[in-house]
Amino acid sequence: MFNLKKLLLFLLLVVSYCNLYAQERVVKGKVTAKDGSSLPGVVIQVQGTTKGAVASGPDGFFSINVTPGAVILEAHSIGYTTKVIPVAADQNKISFVMEEDNKQLGEVVVTGYSSQKKGNLTSAITVVSAEKLKDVTSDDIGEMLQGKVSGLQVVNSSGAPGSVSEIRLRGVSSVNAAQAPLIVVDGIIGGDYDPNDVESVTVLKDAGATAIYGSQANGGVIIITTKKAKGDKTQYEFKAVTGFRTPDFGTMTMMNSSELYQNQKQLFRDYIPGATGNSYVIDLVQFQSERPASILNTNTNWLTTMFKPAPVENYYFSAMGKTAKNDYYFGATFYDEGGTFMNTDYKRVNLRSNNTYHFTDKITLTNNINISGSEGKSYDYNDIYYAYLNLPWDNPYDANHNAIYVDGNSKFTWWSRDKTNPINTIDNSDHPFKSFDINYDLALNLPITPWLSFSTTNRGSASYYYSSTFYSPEVEGVYHGTGYLNDQSTYDYGGISTNLLKFDFKLGKSAINGLAGVEFEGSQTNTVGASGKGLPIGLSSLDVVANSQAVNGSPDSPSILSYLSQVNYSYEDRYFLSGSYRVDGSSAFAPGNKYGTFPSISAGWLVSNEDFLRDNHAVDNLKLRLSYGITGTQDIGASRYLGLYSLTSQYNSAVGATPLQLESPNLTWESKHQLDAGFDIGLFHRINITVDAYHNVTKNLLLQVAQPLSVGFETKWENTGQVLNNGLEFAISSQNIKNKDFQWTTDFNISFNNNKLQDFPSTVISTGEDAVSQIYRTGGNLYEFYMPTWEGVNPQTGAPQWLVQNKDANGKVTSTSVTSNYASATLQEQGSALPKFQGGFNNEFRYKKFFLRINTYFLYGNKVYNANLAEVENDGSEPLLNQIVLPKGSSVWTHPGDIATEPSPENNTNSTSVSTRYLKNGSYLSLRNIAFGYSLPKTFAQRLNLSDINLSLSADNVYTFTRYLGQDPATTITPGNFVTPGVADFKYPDNRQFLLNIDIKF
Amino acid sequence: MKNKLLLIAAFSMLIYSGCKLEDNPTNAVTTASLATTSDGLLNAVNGAYALFKDHEVFEGTTDLNNMYLRQYFQMSDFASDDVVCGQVTTDPFFLTFSLGFTPTQQNASYFWYISYKIISDANTVIEAGSKISNPSAAQQQLIGECYFLRAFCHFNLVRFFAEPYTINPTAPGIVLRTSTTDPAIKARSSVKDVYAQVIADAIKSSTLMTDGASRGVTFATKEAAEALLSRVSLYEGDYQSTITYSNAVISSGKFTEATASDYKTLFANAQTDKETIFCIAFDALDDYGKLGSLASQYYSNGNSGWGEEYASQPLRDLYAQNPSDVRTSYIDDDLDSSGAQQYKNGIPIYYVTKFSFQGGSPTLSSPIMFRLSEMYLNRAEAEANLGQTSAALTDVDFIRSNRGLSGALYNGTVPTGQTVLGAVLQERRLELAFEADRTFTVYRNKQSMNKTYWGYHLQGLQASDINLSVAPANYPNMIIPYTSTKIIYYIPEAEILSNTAATQNP
Repeated sequence: MFNLKKLLLFLLLVVSYCNLYAQERVVKGKVTAKDGSSLPGVVIQVQGTTKGAVASGPDGFFSINVTPGAVILEAHSIGYTTKVIPVAADQNKISFVMEEDNKQLGEVVVTGYSSQKKGNLTSAITVVSAEKLKDVTSDDIGEMLQGKVSGLQVVNSSGAPGSVSEIRLRGVSSVNAAQAPLIVVDGIIGGDYDPNDVESVTVLKDAGATAIYGSQANGGVIIITTKKAKGDKTQYEFKAVTGFRTPDFGTMTMMNSSELYQNQKQLFRDYIPGATGNSYVIDLVQFQSERPASILNTNTNWLTTMFKPAPVENYYFSAMGKTAKNDYYFGATFYDEGGTFMNTDYKRVNLRSNNTYHFTDKITLTNNINISGSEGKSYDYNDIYYAYLNLPWDNPYDANHNAIYVDGNSKFTWWSRDKTNPINTIDNSDHPFKSFDINYDLALNLPITPWLSFSTTNRGSASYYYSSTFYSPEVEGVYHGTGYLNDQSTYDYGGISTNLLKFDFKLGKSAINGLAGVEFEGSQTNTVGASGKGLPIGLSSLDVVANSQAVNGSPDSPSILSYLSQVNYSYEDRYFLSGSYRVDGSSAFAPGNKYGTFPSISAGWLVSNEDFLRDNHAVDNLKLRLSYGITGTQDIGASRYLGLYSLTSQYNSAVGATPLQLESPNLTWESKHQLDAGFDIGLFHRINITVDAYHNVTKNLLLQVAQPLSVGFETKWENTGQVLNNGLEFAISSQNIKNKDFQWTTDFNISFNNNKLQDFPSTVISTGEDAVSQIYRTGGNLYEFYMPTWEGVNPQTGAPQWLVQNKDANGKVTSTSVTSNYASATLQEQGSALPKFQGGFNNEFRYKKFFLRINTYFLYGNKVYNANLAEVENDGSEPLLNQIVLPKGSSVWTHPGDIATEPSPENNTNSTSVSTRYLKNGSYLSLRNIAFGYSLPKTFAQRLNLSDINLSLSADNVYTFTRYLGQDPATTITPGNFVTPGVADFKYPDNRQFLLNIDIKF
Repeated sequence: MKNKLLLIAAFSMLIYSGCKLEDNPTNAVTTASLATTSDGLLNAVNGAYALFKDHEVFEGTTDLNNMYLRQYFQMSDFASDDVVCGQVTTDPFFLTFSLGFTPTQQNASYFWYISYKIISDANTVIEAGSKISNPSAAQQQLIGECYFLRAFCHFNLVRFFAEPYTINPTAPGIVLRTSTTDPAIKARSSVKDVYAQVIADAIKSSTLMTDGASRGVTFATKEAAEALLSRVSLYEGDYQSTITYSNAVISSGKFTEATASDYKTLFANAQTDKETIFCIAFDALDDYGKLGSLASQYYSNGNSGWGEEYASQPLRDLYAQNPSDVRTSYIDDDLDSSGAQQYKNGIPIYYVTKFSFQGGSPTLSSPIMFRLSEMYLNRAEAEANLGQTSAALTDVDFIRSNRGLSGALYNGTVPTGQTVLGAVLQERRLELAFEADRTFTVYRNKQSMNKTYWGYHLQGLQASDINLSVAPANYPNMIIPYTSTKIIYYIPEAEILSNTAATQNP
């Protein structure tokens, strides 16, 4: 058992460890394959130690030093089973044959309701092992998956502690319905887990695999499998990760005091557009009177003042083992993430216990419990906004380093546009949150006959989430003098029960397995909130709010009832056919439209098992796959089919009913028709390649169809329009070099996705926050920006210019010109917020006991509208906001004839209005993770009664290569309140992490 | 044992029998139920009023800047010569200063949208009401209020989005919505047809509403309908009707002109003041503070608002002609403790407080839609146009005598160099400043808007360019003639795209 003494002892021994030599003899030999050909690159070592290991040469010959007397050798090579060779005391020549290992094909993959041998799969499925997953330290599995699964886009758009990434599989296939993949934990839809407890992640990508999840699988399915006991021996693991994180401010460098001072001279140029007698010179006398040089005495870097390096810690302990009747696994995690921004953090504790009791060999009862609790502190957007925009000429602190109070009545000079000191605001406010979550899984497997069994899988879950917003009456701004408290809590309880009959039998050369059953899923979510003002100083509970009390709250109880079935057929382990059929009934739709059906069929041909390839040395695996199926979406919220009046409003202290929704009685499922063709190929026992092409058409989109605003409703829910996604995915995993001391492996994946809208009832221009518009039309792309094209600066006037397209009666462009009148500029489609391709390139080098890992993620072809630039590159229209240091090659217009990139501050009308000026290429290549590690010798570990000791140093988000101008280019692609996909606003910056990892097994 | 377990498993299947697959809304009712429940119609009518003050979800966002009344006041008064802009901003109200209108500007789109939402709500009640046999007086009142709201909203729309009636009555007006079952695709009616519908609805509403069933000035009343008819008739140039409806309100005896001393608290106490004919009730829960209140742009006590728009120099000059004018009490000169004038970006700060101080809050008021003074001014303007000089000046003097100007009355004589209409319109400007009147009054009288004063409506202005001792020169668009296309807003692009029958303004 792990204890502190043992750890200390171990640290002591690290220092004092030295090698001991003994007398040796030589054993020589040859390694061959089954057909007699010689095998190079096979590693041969004495059992129990890697010391003195050798590899066979090109002709299969090797020579190894061993101790006198009888020894046992071990031989390893990827694609072959480990061979154990006893060598007698007098034997010094041996030769042996390596057996091919079809383990990779025999590996069992969890596919949701069942599991299958990898070789039998007929669908596009990617498995990521725990080992590959945990390079990046995070509490969020999405971050860990980034760059490791082809077709999976992961956006970490916020660096706030505890933030969750956005995951999109094979592009975006819905417009108004939810897009995130379905998470399945240990075979049950939904669920809570800690990344440390994860054994593997399976990503189901095509309908052949996902249709069994029917209405919830439109965004793909991610199956999380938690750890289980592996052997009889009790195993313990202790892992400690500790380090710190720093904010990554990206390519947006804010001006310092003197840069801003120089910059502001431009505002004092003698130039009135259109007037005669402009001298175009800067009136330095006036400048010096209005911007006294004394302001240079203050040089506040608001960003580095408000963002500081913060600690990160992650501790994990687990124990697992097996007895004759019982398997158990216990895992405990403590995760503590400091926030780089003032007064933010996140902590999480997770406990998991997985237990399986074997009544008999076949009858098993599984009890899994996961309990987690978290707490942390969030932030207010405005405080980050001011961290960027307040001027370096203002000092937030007084002589005693207390954050000064500033408001509109302050009579001292405060240069920044808004009379506010965000640090003082943070000192007088708080945004705490807490959550608690418990899952209990109960599963029973019961054989009825040798080929038929019954299984029932059930989960009960309950969760509670609380968040609060507090402002003291001492705060500057809206709540000055009154204070404000708003407490919101959500509690949710739910259950899911799956009851299946499973069959599995062989008939001659055929094998058939499958399942049929019923599943019910229901939950109730209650939100309760209250707020008020009139707080006494120093107190922050709802009991003491004196006025403006308001309450809110409502329950919601969605449910789904499903009937599901699946049949897998294989013939001679060469031909595979699989079909599934699911019927889902959802509470989201009107009676009569509640049920939807989701079928799929898929086929595979394991060509490498055919006689003509069976003995081929180059190709050790070749599989062709084809699948077609339908998944659906019903996740649009409750009662979208009803004509509704909302009762959440009030007028003159009486309830008010306001028009909420137009009736759409025929509303029903959105369905995604998915076709996938792919192949897997394994070469030379070193290279595995997977290629998939897909053609997915989402039909009957659950679409909020634009209505003329004059009907009093913006939209009406209808089933109309289609989204088409065509894509190609390529993944290769390769052992580039493998010899005794040095191994180099590469995983590379890239996926292309092309997205198109079809059969849209009308063109919709959606204008969101910051007046940025996107256009939805037949033939267009999702999230396509729609705005005028920036044409730079008019050399004669210094005014901004935009493109005008002159069109004939048929809408054909006949000529183009430029205009400085923004309203007459032509609105054009300017590219989508979705990438054209993306992928990962991950390398691992091992030299003896050392390893070096370098993982990257890349994304190409998406546009990001950086709405921040309208404030920080504003051409003097808001002179009292801090500005960015302009990129190289930029210049501000100064006189007629000047070829400049930035308009004259004196002639800047509409220069910051939405145009391609601030629409940037969002492509990037990110160095996600670099890790360097060392495994202490086993012999040494064993001396401490430990089995493995691994140490490593790692760095996450090391650097991002991009031409994007702004905070880092990772920008949200999920539409929401105040959020347009691909529009960047001031955000909590992403973080770099530098960590020390210690992992001990015993 | 296996059998026992099978039995347990079989039991577990039973849970499905109770499953109904229903998830009914818990904070909304179906539209159909409004007509069938006892409080359905009442709630729906109250909801229509709430829409004037609520921040409704629009374009996927609940933006605190989106409020019917905020757009109503800003889109009209910021275009006038009464207000000066002290700060360039990305808020679309800035386009009203800069005249950089676009068909996608969110404030105009929201105003259009919520106007029609109120109209849809009203139509729903009117249609439900038409099915009630023998409606009670209270039910008739509710239906009458909905006819009023429909007329009021259609009228405000046609003022913002179509040419004034007096300039071109046959110009495209707005889309008339008088039924919830109309086809969604519908052309704009002419200005003339819109006015006809507004007048018909207002008359209908005045006959349905009665004193006995009246719900007070925070709801529509018979007199509110008549006040609307007075205003609409004036805009239409139907001066006889203007006088008729103004008289109806004045002689109803329900309202009393505020005296000079009462006037100072009229706007803070709009709900109870005797001059108020109709106001939208805001209560403490509707105090939106800095982010979203009407007062925020006009006033700040240091923390309460943005305070970036001020009373303009020409308006202040006009008030300054009579220092005893109590109407200047709504203009708050920002001075520091030593009495020095405060500036924002070079513009002197003169806060406007017509939207503040209900219950003492700097950001709370119940904005007045109609008040008695306007009835006198409407009548005076009609009289002036009909050549009834002395009657017109008597009405003007009535106002002036209640504003501390007893020593500066016209007493039936038009000053030299001025016309009687000029005198009436000047009084109207002084009286109704910041009440969404000035811009409409200038253009419907075929006058030009003169904005030759320092402020950020001037293109590309930098603080360093401002010289308050001289008038600005050489800036474009300082004088906007009534013939300009910039006197009205574009029809929202979202309407044009989905309603193929609707045409865009030039």
